[in-house]
Amino acid sequence: MIKLINLTKFYRGLRAVDRINLKIEKGVCFGFLGPNGAGKTTTIRMMAGVLKPTEGQIIINGHDLAKYPSAAKQCVGFIPDRPFMYEKLTGLEFLHFVAGLYGLDSTSMLNRRIGDLLGLFELKQREEELIESYSHGMKQRLIMCAALVHQPKVLIVDEPMVGLDPKGARLVKNIFREQAAEGTTIFMSTHSLEVAEEVCEEIAIIQEGRIIAHGTAGELREQAGMDGNLEDIFLRLTQER
Amino acid sequence: MGGLGLAFCGGMFVLSSRVLIYFQSVEMIGDLLAQQLLSMVLLTFFSMLIFSNIITALSNLYLSKDLELCHSIPVSVEELFISRSLYTFVDSSWMVIIFALPIFLAYGYVYEPDLGFYLSLIHMNVAMAIIASCIGILLTMVLVHIFPAQRTKDIVLLLSIFMVVALYLLFRFLRPERLVNPEAFFSVAQYVSALKVPDSPFLPTHWITETLWAHLNPVEGRPAESGIEILLIWATAASAVVINVWIAHFIYFDGFSKSQEAKKRRAGGKRLLDLMIMSVSKPFGKDLSAIISKDIRSFFRDNTQWSQLLLLAALIVVYLYNFSVLPLDKSPIRLDFLQNELAFLNMGLAGFVLSALCTRFVFTAVSAEGDAYWIIRSSPMRLKRYLWGKYIFFVFPILILAEVLIVATNYLLDVTLFMMILSSVTIGFMTFGIVALGIGVGAIYPKFKHENIGQVSTGFGGFLYMIISALFIGLIIILEAGPVYMLFMSQVKGSVISPIEWLFIVLSFSAVVVIIGVAIFRPMKAGLKALQRYE
Repeated sequence: MIKLINLTKFYRGLRAVDRINLKIEKGVCFGFLGPNGAGKTTTIRMMAGVLKPTEGQIIINGHDLAKYPSAAKQCVGFIPDRPFMYEKLTGLEFLHFVAGLYGLDSTSMLNRRIGDLLGLFELKQREEELIESYSHGMKQRLIMCAALVHQPKVLIVDEPMVGLDPKGARLVKNIFREQAAEGTTIFMSTHSLEVAEEVCEEIAIIQEGRIIAHGTAGELREQAGMDGNLEDIFLRLTQER
Repeated sequence: MGGLGLAFCGGMFVLSSRVLIYFQSVEMIGDLLAQQLLSMVLLTFFSMLIFSNIITALSNLYLSKDLELCHSIPVSVEELFISRSLYTFVDSSWMVIIFALPIFLAYGYVYEPDLGFYLSLIHMNVAMAIIASCIGILLTMVLVHIFPAQRTKDIVLLLSIFMVVALYLLFRFLRPERLVNPEAFFSVAQYVSALKVPDSPFLPTHWITETLWAHLNPVEGRPAESGIEILLIWATAASAVVINVWIAHFIYFDGFSKSQEAKKRRAGGKRLLDLMIMSVSKPFGKDLSAIISKDIRSFFRDNTQWSQLLLLAALIVVYLYNFSVLPLDKSPIRLDFLQNELAFLNMGLAGFVLSALCTRFVFTAVSAEGDAYWIIRSSPMRLKRYLWGKYIFFVFPILILAEVLIVATNYLLDVTLFMMILSSVTIGFMTFGIVALGIGVGAIYPKFKHENIGQVSTGFGGFLYMIISALFIGLIIILEAGPVYMLFMSQVKGSVISPIEWLFIVLSFSAVVVIIGVAIFRPMKAGLKALQRYE
C-alpha cells in the first residue's frame, strides 16, 4: 500500500510537485500520467528515496519513508527511466550485488530466483557478459530483474517501456499484471496511454505538479465529460487548463 | 591553475638558463653539451607530441559523443577528418609547445642569437607539431583499423602507463645526481657518451636542431645552408597531411563504424577476483560485502583504474631507493642526530605520499558510483553505513602501505627504537585521519557525472582535500616536533626531563590525539550530511 500525503517538492523556487495526496491499495496497478515536465519523475524519485520531499509524507507499506527509510525501501523495487548501472559487472553479478544490498542470503534459493528472473527476461544467455556490452533494452530488462529480485511489495516504475521492443513490452505488461495479481502494488508513470489503459486499474493525471484527475478509466471519462479512448480524455483534461 | 602553470614555466626558464650558463663555462665540451641537450629536448617533445596525439585522436576521431551527429550530416569523410584532425592537432600540441617554450627562450637568453632564431623556432616547431600530429593520427587510424577503438584505448593507456613507469624507474636508477660529481666518470669521452642522444638526419628534430644551432652558434654553425632543413621540415609536414587525408579516405570511416559496434565482453579473471572478494569482504555484512565486491570487480576490470597501481608501485620503489642511496656518511651533522631528524621528517613526507594516493583512490570512492548512485540511494542501506563501509575498506590497505613505507625507510636509516615506534604509531593514526578526510571531503564534493574517474580528483574538491590533508599532516608534525626533540635530546645527553617539560610533552601528544579524532569524525559527519542533501 502507498500513501502520499501533501507531497510537495520545490526546485530553486519552482514548485515541481504541489501537495499531492494519493492512496493506492495493495495489489493495484496505478498509472501516473502527465505531459513532459509535469512532475511525474520527481514524484517517483521521491517515492524511491532518491529525492527528499520539501513537504509532506510518503508511507510505503505502513512505513514512513522519512522516519524509517530502511524499512520502507526494503519493501520497494525501483525501476528508473534510464538504466544506469555498474557497467563493469556482469548481469549475474549485478543481480547478486542488488540482492546483497537488500540483505538477501546467497543461498541456492536466491540463485534459483535470479536464474528464473534472467530466464523470464530472456537474459540467461548473456548473464556472464559485462553490462557495458548490453543494449539499452537489455539493460532495461536487467534493471527490472534487479527490482524484482527481493520480491518487493511495492514496485515503483518510471517509463517502463522506453527502449523495449514490442516483444519486451508485452512481456513487461504481463509481468506487471501477474505481480499485481499476486498482491504487489505497482506505481507506474508512463507516456504510453495504451499501456496505462491496458494494465492500470487506477489512473491519475498530473499537470504542473498537481493531480488534475484521478480514478478508473471510466471515472476519468466522466470527469472529462466525454466518451472515447484514454488519449482523447488525456488531451481534453490537460488542454482544459 | 594559471598561476601554477606560470610558476612552472618560470622555474623551467630559470633552471634551463642556469644549466646553459654552466655548460658555457665548461671548456671544450660546453657547447657540445648544449647542442646535445637541445637535440634531446626536441626529441623528447617530439615523442610526447606523437603520444599525446594518439590519445587525443582516439577521442576526437572515434570515441567523442558528438561524432554520431557529425557523421550523419552531409559532409564528406575527408572534410570531417580534416576538421577533427585540426582539433586533435590544437588540443594535443598547445600545452607541449607552451611547456617547451621556456627551455628554448633560455637558449635565446644565454646565447643571444639573431631574430632568425626566434622565427625558425616558431615556424619549425609548428611544422614539427604538424608532423607529430600526422604520425599520431596515422598510428591511431591503423590501430583502430586492426582493433576496435575501445580496445585500442585500453592498449594505448596500458602502454603509456608502462612507458611512464619504465622511464621513471630508468631515470631514477641512472642516478642523474652523479652528473654533478666528476669523480663518478673516468674521462670526458665517457661523460659525453653518457649524454649521447639517438639522432638521425632523417628526423625532423635533427633539422630543427641544426637550424637553431646555426643561429645560436654562428661561428661554427652554417646559417647560410640551414634553408635546406626548413625546406625539408615543411615539405615533410605538407606531405604528411596529404598522405593522412589520402589514407583516411580508405580506412577512417571503417574504423569509426567498427568503434560503434557493441562487442560481447565477457568478464576476465573471475576466479581470482572471486577468491580475493571472498577473503576481503567476509567480515562485513551482506550489504557492505556487496558494495566491496562490486568495487573490487569494477576496479580490476577497468584498465584506467588498476594500471595506476603500477605508478604507485614505481613511486614506492623509488621512494625507498632514495633513502637507500642517501649519502649520510658525508654529512657534517652528527649521524645519529641526522638519522632521527630524517626519520621524523619522513613521517610528513610519507603522509604527503599517502594523501596524494588518497586523492586518487579514496577521495573518488563516493563519486566512483557514477550515474548508478541511485541504486545505493534507493536501497535500504543507510548512508552512514555506506560511508563508514567505504572508510573501513580503504583504511586497512592504506595503513599497511603507510607502515611499510615508514618501517622500511626507518630500517634503511637505521634509526633508534624510540623513533621507530613513534613514527610507526604516528603514521598509523595519521592514516586514519587522511582516509577519513578523503571519504568525507569526497562525499561533500561528489561528482557522479563523469566520463573518467581520474577527472574527479583534479577538480575543486580534490584540490581542497589536498590542502586540508597537507594542513593536517603539517599540524601533527609541528605538534610532535617539540616533545620528540626533548625526549631525543634527553636520551642522547642522558639528562632528566623536568615536570614542566613532561607537561608540555603530554599536552602536545594530547593535542595530536584530539586533532586526529576531529580529522576522523568531522569530515565523515559533514560528508554524510552533504550526501543526504544531495539531489
